[in-house]
Amino acid sequence: MKRKSYVVSIIFILCIGLILMGCPKKTVVKDEPSAKAEAAKIEAERIAKEKEKEAKEKEVKEREAARLKEKEEQAKREFERSLVAKRTPGIEGEVFESGLLKPIFFDFDKYDIRPADTEILKGNSALLKKFPNVKIQIEGHCDERGTNEYNLALGERRANSTKKYLTSLGITADRVSTISYGEEKPFDPGHNEEAWAKNRRSHFLITAK
Amino acid sequence: MVKYFLYILILVFFFIPSVEARVYLDINAPTFVQIPIILPKWKSVDKTPPALTAKIYEVLVNDLALSGFFKVIDHSLLPIYLKEKEGIPGMLSIQEWASSGGEILLAGEATLEGDGLNLRLKFHLVDLVEQKHLVGKQYDGHLQNFRNMVHRIADEVIFHLTGEMGVHNTKMAYVIRQGESREIFIADFDGANVRPLTQNQSINVSPVWTPDNQKIAFTSYLKRNPDLYRIDLNGKNLQRFSSHPGLNVSPSWSPDGKQIALMMGKEGKSDIYLLDANGGNPRRLTSGHGNESTPRWSPDGQQIVFSSDRSGSPQIYIMSLDGANVRRLTYEGNYNTSPSWSPKRDRIAFCGRAGGQFHIFTIGADGSGLKKLTPNGSNNESPCWSPDGRYIAFSSTRLGGGSRIYIMNANGFNQRPLTTSKGGESSPAWSKRFE
Repeated sequence: MKRKSYVVSIIFILCIGLILMGCPKKTVVKDEPSAKAEAAKIEAERIAKEKEKEAKEKEVKEREAARLKEKEEQAKREFERSLVAKRTPGIEGEVFESGLLKPIFFDFDKYDIRPADTEILKGNSALLKKFPNVKIQIEGHCDERGTNEYNLALGERRANSTKKYLTSLGITADRVSTISYGEEKPFDPGHNEEAWAKNRRSHFLITAK
Repeated sequence: MVKYFLYILILVFFFIPSVEARVYLDINAPTFVQIPIILPKWKSVDKTPPALTAKIYEVLVNDLALSGFFKVIDHSLLPIYLKEKEGIPGMLSIQEWASSGGEILLAGEATLEGDGLNLRLKFHLVDLVEQKHLVGKQYDGHLQNFRNMVHRIADEVIFHLTGEMGVHNTKMAYVIRQGESREIFIADFDGANVRPLTQNQSINVSPVWTPDNQKIAFTSYLKRNPDLYRIDLNGKNLQRFSSHPGLNVSPSWSPDGKQIALMMGKEGKSDIYLLDANGGNPRRLTSGHGNESTPRWSPDGQQIVFSSDRSGSPQIYIMSLDGANVRRLTYEGNYNTSPSWSPKRDRIAFCGRAGGQFHIFTIGADGSGLKKLTPNGSNNESPCWSPDGRYIAFSSTRLGGGSRIYIMNANGFNQRPLTTSKGGESSPAWSKRFE
């Protein structure tokens, strides 16, 4: 009888032991659902924030793009507005002049670009980069002094040194043609230095827009 | 003996010029004294209108004055007892004429015949100093050609006194500015018969005569590029014959007419090229970085004179036809352009800058004997020679308000405007003689 109670006690103890051993496990299992929810919540918040950020960024970007587009449109409108169609009697074709493409000027019998005029050419090149479909013609002009044929050669040089500077700024050569008018197409018909200074120039025309 | 000469009429159609004519005037000398020539009034024979005869006389006086060889004593300058005498004087009265101070007498008469359209001009040339008849001739022609007939008389007179025909039957092509456009015009040597060759409102520049004397070649911007064209003297039959993108300017035909030298801008700058006479087969003659302009052939067709800024400023150079043997001709000044080779002598005219103004100079083809021909006070450009090499035409601003075409003797004497236009004239080109 004593032996039987001993076995029962051992079983009991084992049972207790088992129960005790099982207890912590049971607690963890019991806690799992609430932790998961917590994590999901955090994740959701993060995603939401991210989405919000993305949306905000997108909005900013869109707004910026719209602003840029508007600016571009505005520049385009401004450029379009600046264009003046020009037909010259006795010279084939219609071309455009734009006040936004500024002329540069030269010293007597010279064709090198004056240092101060490089800024003008940079401005012209920036405009050309903005409107990649635009093609231009550079007219080389001279004052009335000196022989007509020599001035035709000088005007050719002026137009081409201007073209060379523009291509060095990244404008492709096929967008730029040149023509020399020598002393034959003066902007000021006067016979004095004031007129001559105006007439020694590279003038820009738009041949395609 | 002498008096018979006065009645010998030699029809020009059968006349063969004597090569042994005495030379009264060595016009090749750097300076010469003008011959005093007396011109009595011309006589109107029969019903010839005196106004026509007066016009004929006026053209003749002007021709002789333009030649620069004469001190012209027209009838208004004669003493009273000779002033109103007209026609061809008899030999007996020659001494009377000699006493008035002239050395040569040129007398004549005009007869309008038939239906009033056939004009006969008769003249006699007499050496008053030696009391010798030099030549007498008669010309028949249509009334409307009277100016050409008078020019022929002037040429004949010059032939008998200098040993070489004059250039009164030549023409000048040049550019006139008309508002924004530039049009090519032609005029007779004496500035008469100014008429437009182009009226296309374009920019038409740099005219030259084609070797057959029947067309003008020039550069026009009709197709928005300076292309070369030629056109008949009546303004018809316009043809484009060189149209490379860039310059096609200032053609000059070789003396044999087989090649054309010109300025072309194929490399982004002006170079001298040769073309075949039809405008094809371009060959580049100049290399390097210089700006090359206005090629002109030497009379023997072996060399080309041109302007180049290869040394830093435009100067005059000569090269052979393959572009080799380049030699520099000018060293004075820093702007020498637009050379033109005399058709008769080894002398080159060009436009140079001196004292802030542009002037016409001549220099030997060997670089010797530089001579400034135009006076200070104005700009003078674009010299070109007459076909006999005795004259140079050029443009000058001396009258203000834009330039005009002038003519002077090759030594710079006797500078006169071609016309009485209001200016805006440039780039003269002289024809050969019209027969």
